[in-house]
Amino acid sequence: MRSLNLHLKILIVLLVSLGVLITGYQIFILGIPVTEDETDDLWNIDAKVEFLATPREPVKLQMFVPPLNQDYVSLNESFISNNYGVSVNRTDGNRKVTWSSRRANGKQTLYYRLVLTKRYSDEQTKARGPIFRERIPLEGPEKIAADALLAPIRQHSADVETFISETIKRVNNRNDDNVKLLLGGDNSPVNKARVIELLLSIAHVPMERLHTIRLIAETQQSPELWLRSFNGEQWLYFHPESGQQGLPADRLVWWTGDEPLVNLEGGRQAQVSFSLNNSEMNAIRLAKLTDENTDADFLEYSLYGLPLSTQQTFQVMIVIPIGVLVILILRNLGGLQTLGTFTPVLIALAFRETQLGFGIFLFTVITALGLSLRSYLEHLKLQMLPRLSVVLTFVVVLIAAISLFSHKLGLERGLSVALFPMVILTMTIERLSITWEERGGTHAFKVALGTLFAATLAHLLMSVPELVYFIFTFPAVLMILVGFMLAMGRYRGYRLTELFRFKAFLKD
Amino acid sequence: MFGLIKTWKALEAKGIMGINRRNADYVLKYNKRHLYPIVDDKIITKQRAIEAGIHVPEMYGVISTEKEIDKLDSIIGGRTDFVVKPAQGAGGDGILVIADRFEERYKTVSGKIISHEEIEQQISSILSGLYSLGGHRDRALIEYRVIPDPIFKSISYEGVPDIRIIVLMGYPVMAMLRLPTRQSGGKANLHQGAIGVGVDLATGVTLRGTWLNNKISKHPDTANAVDGVQLPNWDGFMKLAAGCYELCGLGYIGVDMVLDQEKGPLILELNARPGLNIQIANDCGLTKRTHAVEAHLAELKKKGIQESPEERMRFAQQCFGHVPIAQL
Repeated sequence: MRSLNLHLKILIVLLVSLGVLITGYQIFILGIPVTEDETDDLWNIDAKVEFLATPREPVKLQMFVPPLNQDYVSLNESFISNNYGVSVNRTDGNRKVTWSSRRANGKQTLYYRLVLTKRYSDEQTKARGPIFRERIPLEGPEKIAADALLAPIRQHSADVETFISETIKRVNNRNDDNVKLLLGGDNSPVNKARVIELLLSIAHVPMERLHTIRLIAETQQSPELWLRSFNGEQWLYFHPESGQQGLPADRLVWWTGDEPLVNLEGGRQAQVSFSLNNSEMNAIRLAKLTDENTDADFLEYSLYGLPLSTQQTFQVMIVIPIGVLVILILRNLGGLQTLGTFTPVLIALAFRETQLGFGIFLFTVITALGLSLRSYLEHLKLQMLPRLSVVLTFVVVLIAAISLFSHKLGLERGLSVALFPMVILTMTIERLSITWEERGGTHAFKVALGTLFAATLAHLLMSVPELVYFIFTFPAVLMILVGFMLAMGRYRGYRLTELFRFKAFLKD
Repeated sequence: MFGLIKTWKALEAKGIMGINRRNADYVLKYNKRHLYPIVDDKIITKQRAIEAGIHVPEMYGVISTEKEIDKLDSIIGGRTDFVVKPAQGAGGDGILVIADRFEERYKTVSGKIISHEEIEQQISSILSGLYSLGGHRDRALIEYRVIPDPIFKSISYEGVPDIRIIVLMGYPVMAMLRLPTRQSGGKANLHQGAIGVGVDLATGVTLRGTWLNNKISKHPDTANAVDGVQLPNWDGFMKLAAGCYELCGLGYIGVDMVLDQEKGPLILELNARPGLNIQIANDCGLTKRTHAVEAHLAELKKKGIQESPEERMRFAQQCFGHVPIAQL
């Protein structure tokens, strides 16, 4: 007995910890959302390219598109164009789309659309970049101005990071004559970036431009220029004007490098406008979409890998243990008396079809009528099988009649009763009448009420969408349930009703 | 909530056994499933009992097919009283007790006159499984009619009072006398309204009783005190009950017995899931007694001894008997 107990304890611990571990792994490592309501932002980015094609000349337009090697993952990407050939190629960590056409006339419009989301991307790849660069040769007054600027920068900085931010601060100081000279009267961010690069190159600090799009809905925008530098471990990002450090989370890198966004041959007045909008999407659906579009297939071996129709069946099946658990607790801990062991679960499943209130009403009516028929049949002294068959047929006829009536009355709800499992009802009637005879009407009534109560509770719990989702997504939770059920299997304490049943002992 | 915890603690301190404990620690542990048919089928129980030399009401015959119903006459022979029972009936359903013959007809205990055909039809119903649990085909059993000892006249209402002893591994642990009431309709089942009266294991003197989960001291129909009645031939009952372990092999059973005015103690049936109300009847928890028996068994096992039914009976009487009678 003792070894059996130990065996059981080990089994319970094993099951529970396995369940917890698997669920924890799914939640924390794979990042599967815990509730169905969890939504993620879904970004829809449209880049509209317009230009005037030069007549009788082949057109070739190249445009950078996001490289998508960062925190974002593309769910859908499309190139919309008429009569253009499209090709995409990667160069130096950038992606470029090339639209080409032999002949085009007048105003041309091309679209690039990208749908992306932030979650469920692969692990960050290890950053790599240059840590040294050649000096940009300087002559005359520029050289003197640059040297004059660099001396205090050197003094005020400790490492690459502080050096760069100090440089950006100085370059943005409009009252500095040296800066004025270097900028040459052009205060655009592009020019500032050029001066910053110049200064940094003297100190051999490499710098790279990157062009970002801000993920903000419904505003017109053009790519924003940022600078970044590799300090040997990671990329440091800087805004060339404000000196702000670190790339905000809502920025999407469109391309890096010095080249312009669009490169057009055989046309002029190329113009790119971006428009963004975001939509929220159910996190788990998003995860499924991501799954299809990336190599990450963490949902592949979950129940989501099943065909959709099968999934629906499983969503019903997978919560049955919850219903069973309810019955187990009500019966073994509470002492509630129900008809049979799992009849309440079956009735609870039937309630799915009919909805709760109507289901209880139907159940009561059909059972009451069935019981009266059964008591009539009792007088005929029939054998069990023929008797059951008569009751079943009666139940079918009754259900048909109710359906017909409610249809004529315009209550469509009544039709759902057709799916109310008839066999369950028949067995309920049979069991109830046996109980009635053996233990009396009061007891039968008590049992019927207990069954209805247990079924209602089980149904309510089994139809909590969060719970259904949770168990369907993390089926390992069932192992924890089994652990609990095993523990219940050796529970020897009193049932709640026994505390009242044995009350007589306390009356001394 | 707090009151419930207090109740729980108090019940635990008294060693009251709950259903969960009975099932987990006794029924599941000591009663092997494959032995259940022995107690579920009264014919098998009876055959086993006869082989073991244990007293049971004499079996006149068994009818197991429709065709055999024709044999009814030869089974009954010239007897004027007998009982027809389903072998696997439950709750006393389907039992027909014939007390006398009356001009080619039969008279039941309650005085109803029925014809031979009606008896045949009753047997046919039994065979079809009308009274068996689960509705299986069943067999009908025709046996000796027990005439209860007149000692019970004052404290019982109709029907046959019986004695239930709970036996753990052959050791009687608790006993009660079950008295039919008007409410129970002559049946001796507690949940149908019969009274349970505790019995001192050593002396066979009745203690106070239980009726519908309450403690009582008088019979609700006759208003006579139920306690202080000396049951005759008590050691005979105890020995019979103790011997039932060898008979069926089930370790935790309730043995139902009757006291016939001529044949003395007889075994009626065995129950593999005896109820817990016997505790209220005896005003005593089962758990302490069963633990004492289990400890005794472990000790014997260490020494390698096996006790005979007499020794087991004496152990039980020594340990659990001589309950001080509470003042009313």
